Amino acid sequence: MASSKTLEITQEAWLDKLQSLHITRSDMNKLIMDYLVTEGFKDAAEKFQQESGTQPATTLDSMSERIQIREAIQEGRIEEAIGLVNDIHPELLDNDRYLYFHLQQQYLIELIRNGQLESALEYAQTNLAERGEENAEILPELERTLALLVFENPETSPFADLLHPSQRQKVASELNSAILEAESRESMPKLANLLKLLLWSQEQLDAKKVKFPKMKDLAKGEFQGPK
Amino acid sequence: MYEIVMMDTGLGQLYVDSLNVNDTQQLLCNLKQMKNVVIGSNRQKANLMLCGAVPRLLNIITSEKSPAVLVECAIILGSFAKGSEVTRRKLLEEGVLSIMLQGLAHGELKFVEACLRFLRTMMTSPSAPTEILHQDSTIIPHMIQLLPQSKCTQECIASILATCCKNSEHQETLCRHGAISALAPLLDINEDRIQLPTLRCYAALAYQNRNVSSAIASTMHNGESLLQIFCRLLNRNHSVAMQLTAAKCLSYLCRAGAVAVDDPIIQFRVLPCLVRMCKKDRSVEEKVEGAETLAFLIEEDIDLQRVASITDHLIMTLAAFLRYIPEATNKNEDLSTEMKQAAFKVFASLGANEEDIRKKIIDTQSLMDQIEICLSETNPKVQLSAVRCLHSLSRSVQQLRTSFQDHAVWKPLMKLLRLGQPDELMTIASSTLCNLLLEFSPSKEPIVDAGAVELLCKLTASQNTPLRLNGIWGLMNMAFQAEQKIKNSILTSLGTDQLFDLLTDSNVDILMKTLGLLRNLLSTKQHIDSIMMSHNKQIMTAVIMILEGDHPPDVKEQTLCILANIADGHSAKDYIMSNEDILKKLTYYMRIEHVKLQIAAVYCINNLVWTEEDGATERQAKLKEYGIQKHLQALLDSSDTVLFDKVKTALQQFSS
Repeated sequence: MASSKTLEITQEAWLDKLQSLHITRSDMNKLIMDYLVTEGFKDAAEKFQQESGTQPATTLDSMSERIQIREAIQEGRIEEAIGLVNDIHPELLDNDRYLYFHLQQQYLIELIRNGQLESALEYAQTNLAERGEENAEILPELERTLALLVFENPETSPFADLLHPSQRQKVASELNSAILEAESRESMPKLANLLKLLLWSQEQLDAKKVKFPKMKDLAKGEFQGPK
Repeated sequence: MYEIVMMDTGLGQLYVDSLNVNDTQQLLCNLKQMKNVVIGSNRQKANLMLCGAVPRLLNIITSEKSPAVLVECAIILGSFAKGSEVTRRKLLEEGVLSIMLQGLAHGELKFVEACLRFLRTMMTSPSAPTEILHQDSTIIPHMIQLLPQSKCTQECIASILATCCKNSEHQETLCRHGAISALAPLLDINEDRIQLPTLRCYAALAYQNRNVSSAIASTMHNGESLLQIFCRLLNRNHSVAMQLTAAKCLSYLCRAGAVAVDDPIIQFRVLPCLVRMCKKDRSVEEKVEGAETLAFLIEEDIDLQRVASITDHLIMTLAAFLRYIPEATNKNEDLSTEMKQAAFKVFASLGANEEDIRKKIIDTQSLMDQIEICLSETNPKVQLSAVRCLHSLSRSVQQLRTSFQDHAVWKPLMKLLRLGQPDELMTIASSTLCNLLLEFSPSKEPIVDAGAVELLCKLTASQNTPLRLNGIWGLMNMAFQAEQKIKNSILTSLGTDQLFDLLTDSNVDILMKTLGLLRNLLSTKQHIDSIMMSHNKQIMTAVIMILEGDHPPDVKEQTLCILANIADGHSAKDYIMSNEDILKKLTYYMRIEHVKLQIAAVYCINNLVWTEEDGATERQAKLKEYGIQKHLQALLDSSDTVLFDKVKTALQQFSS
């Protein structure tokens, strides 16, 4: 079935094809707006609305609860975030214990960040030990977090990534998407789906041994591959 | 560890005690604190309940006016319900359920919603006391009335009704209170969390209920029939769970006669959808549900069985179910048994009627080995489904001669039958054994050697009617063209008392099989004479008893055939000739207006008057005395050719 000659597409031909495809600016803007609204970046969405004139699909006010929660996490106020989630979706954290674990883990990280090591140890014993008993799969994650306690300067330890703001961002996004799902709304920005589609398509082409310009660095959008 | 628990309890008590405040704002604040501690932690739930949180919360609910406080209390109880099974049992003991049901009548929607969430969690848990919903006749209509209130009420009530609808009485109650049309608008809401429980509810309503199913099928919503809506939800743009549940709904409607089996929607949409659910890219739960639904859908229709058997390598796909090994996590243990069970169910349905399909199943690599292994499984569900499958396959004459010979499936089967329980398993297993004991089955001999006679005799004494039937049925099959040794051992093991018990059994099938057994025992001259020599009294008494009793013609016919068999012996003939009662009964049945009975009686006479046999002249003379020759002549007018021929042969014997 498979032809002996492998298909090869040069970068030039590829880019020509891409250029011939016209995507309107307003579509692009909608995509950005969707990302900002879904992820709960209210200020940015408002700014973007002013600058580009793009209307968000839902009113920005309905975002306020989600935004409060996101902000609380991004500023390290985890307990407050948990309280807010329990107010608007009382079943969410009971149903998704893994998500709850990540919130508790983040709480622990915040304690460590603030140097409250004894509280951290106590919190881990009273609250997180139970998680480990319920689900052995989280133990590695728990161990990594607790390892921070061992180092005098956790910021320079091999597990410093947990203290990075991106860790807060990660937890905030996970919670945000769980809330959206509980409300039967699109839990993933369209942009993220598009990127997934891109990666999947490249995988398919690889599997068929097609040579083509591949986008390896998604952030920069640069191609690599046959000239 | 001990210390931690102590400390926990100490804090827990503080939380519970903090609810003893009068100020509403303070109470609200303390409740919220408790809520945030409880949500997500089973340990905290158990801990706070140990400290007496539940009675305290119930007390607040029944005495408090502030809606916000009520809501928080209900939410905390709702979170308790999401704890362990032990926690839920305690909640039931503490009477939370009835308070929450009362809560449904409250004016505050948020409180009602919290109560409903609690009820949904409780009712969908493994040990749910679903009956409670039906104990108070106002609950169901009230719930149906609450449906349009909010998405939350829709989602919860649909789930609750779906899990609490378990028998035809429940189905009819729901139907009477308008559930069918009240649920329809929920299908318009494009959200899985609402549409899915709604579909499940329709499935629960339709399951094996013709009336309710036809009511569903004839219901219209917004100018579209519910059936059309279900079909739409089969489309592949919907989630897998939705497609599967829609297929289930339509399957149930079809089995309950509300959708025709030959409706293209069943063959071209529902069936392929269910087969697709069994494919390897689906989750284990989806595979199991898909396969079980498929087994149910095709169970009784040969065309659907044929189509399914050639749809997308279904048999191969299912064979893979049997080899499933759960991933190394603790909770997956059940899944491999579910997979096996589901596969066996489909195999049983597929092979229910068609020989070719059975052959295809049996020829599937290592399948028979798997059945053998599963017959000895410790899990009763897997055992049962494996036996069901074997039973279905054992209907095949050809396979009984071949595959069933290669695989000694009868060994684990006998072992299982020796355990003697449970009844459902025993019924299918003994029924399978009956098939294996058919005369052409090569397994027959080793099974008998392994002690089947005693086992079957024991079954005939069971309290359970199907078991008695299978016991006697098996003995009947076993006695067919059997050696004298086997026949004797049947008679000895069964005992005449038991034989009489069976002949007076209120179940006609059992009576027929018992007569069949007697008939099979009384065949070939030598056996007839020998058995009659030792058992003539009992057998003749039995024959008279049946002939005098109030029985359908089939039973009488079978009994007359027994007499004919006895008349076929040498010395055995005397037992008839010397019995005036019997001779009168024979003349009576020759005159009765029922051709089959007449044939049977004449058949018996034939065996008595055969000229070549010793003592024929004397017998003919005696029969003449009873006017039998005259009766025979009268029967020459018969329009039935079989009867006519038999009468003519008998008369020829007389004249010669």
